[in-house]
Amino acid sequence: MKKTALLIIAVLGILLLRAAEDLPFWGDPQSPASVHLSDYYLEESYEETSVPNIVTSVLADYRGYDTMFETVVIFCAGITVLIVLRRTHRRRAKVISPRPERPGADIILQTAARLLVPMMQLFALYVVAHGHHSPGGGFQGGVILGSSLILLALSYDIQMALHRFKEKLVLLFSAGGVLLYAAIGLACLFLGRNFLAYGAWAALLGISEPEAHSHGMLGVEIGVAITVLCIMFSLYIDLASGGDLDEGL
Amino acid sequence: MLDILVIIFMVMGLFFFFGTTVGIVRFPDFYTRTHAAGKGDTLSVMLMLFGLALYNLHHLSPATLLVSGKIVIICVVVFIASPTATHAIMDAGYEAKVRHWSRPGAPKDPQDNSGEKQ
Repeated sequence: MKKTALLIIAVLGILLLRAAEDLPFWGDPQSPASVHLSDYYLEESYEETSVPNIVTSVLADYRGYDTMFETVVIFCAGITVLIVLRRTHRRRAKVISPRPERPGADIILQTAARLLVPMMQLFALYVVAHGHHSPGGGFQGGVILGSSLILLALSYDIQMALHRFKEKLVLLFSAGGVLLYAAIGLACLFLGRNFLAYGAWAALLGISEPEAHSHGMLGVEIGVAITVLCIMFSLYIDLASGGDLDEGL
Repeated sequence: MLDILVIIFMVMGLFFFFGTTVGIVRFPDFYTRTHAAGKGDTLSVMLMLFGLALYNLHHLSPATLLVSGKIVIICVVVFIASPTATHAIMDAGYEAKVRHWSRPGAPKDPQDNSGEKQ
């Protein structure tokens, strides 16, 4: 069995190396990726989307379909961890999971968390909203938002964080973020354009088409941020407490 | 004048960074090393960032003031977060009963319960 696995890996590795020979060199101006589309994005993306950050316009507009399913992948990963780990009352009786006792609360950590969490959340909102102009966007902002909740759960306990943000709401919102993304794209379909062609919103909102692209991107970034936030938090609470959601680390 | 101040801050930051590094390498056990990392790192990062904020004010304008303000905010965040993280790490080490160092030949502390589980 081990030898078979080794053989398969060796064959695949040789294939990969042979295939990698055909890849273009780093920064080759003649490589296919730089010939057809890059110039177009560099020259036209600001005219078409009024978003100065080309990365954001490519990610959320030109390749919005791809990004939507990236968000779905994150959602699926979170749900998978939930299915594997989450223990209901019925299943809990079967599994014994001894955890060390953690006596007392740490006032230093709690005070620092109290000071830091609002700053983190404010900064996360800035990262989400400022993705059009600087590095940032839904994924990064969502991760910062999620880690602020995780910090709360770490320095107090999971119960306290769950009291602020119920598990049902977490799961509802993690699906809601993806649905918000899809809904923005679907609305374009109903307004007579292609899926995720944000220009369709222009007439409805009474703005020019590039601005509609910009606003559409902001909408989907918010959807991404909500999903990433909820999945990060859900992953933490399930992993840290072994699926019981009682006390955690 | 401003340059002299900046140089003083940067050199002090470098000095404390050096002390931190020496402490992490040379101190004998987990607690003292974490102590050196937490104390020296925080102070030197703050000194150097403050020096950079001052250096940025060579051309006084709203834009540079904004950047300097952001650097000062980073100082505040480091001041809160870094010692707290050090405290948390050390607390976790204490709870995991990490052995602390004592001078060879020193009488054993009767209240020392850290050496029970090696």
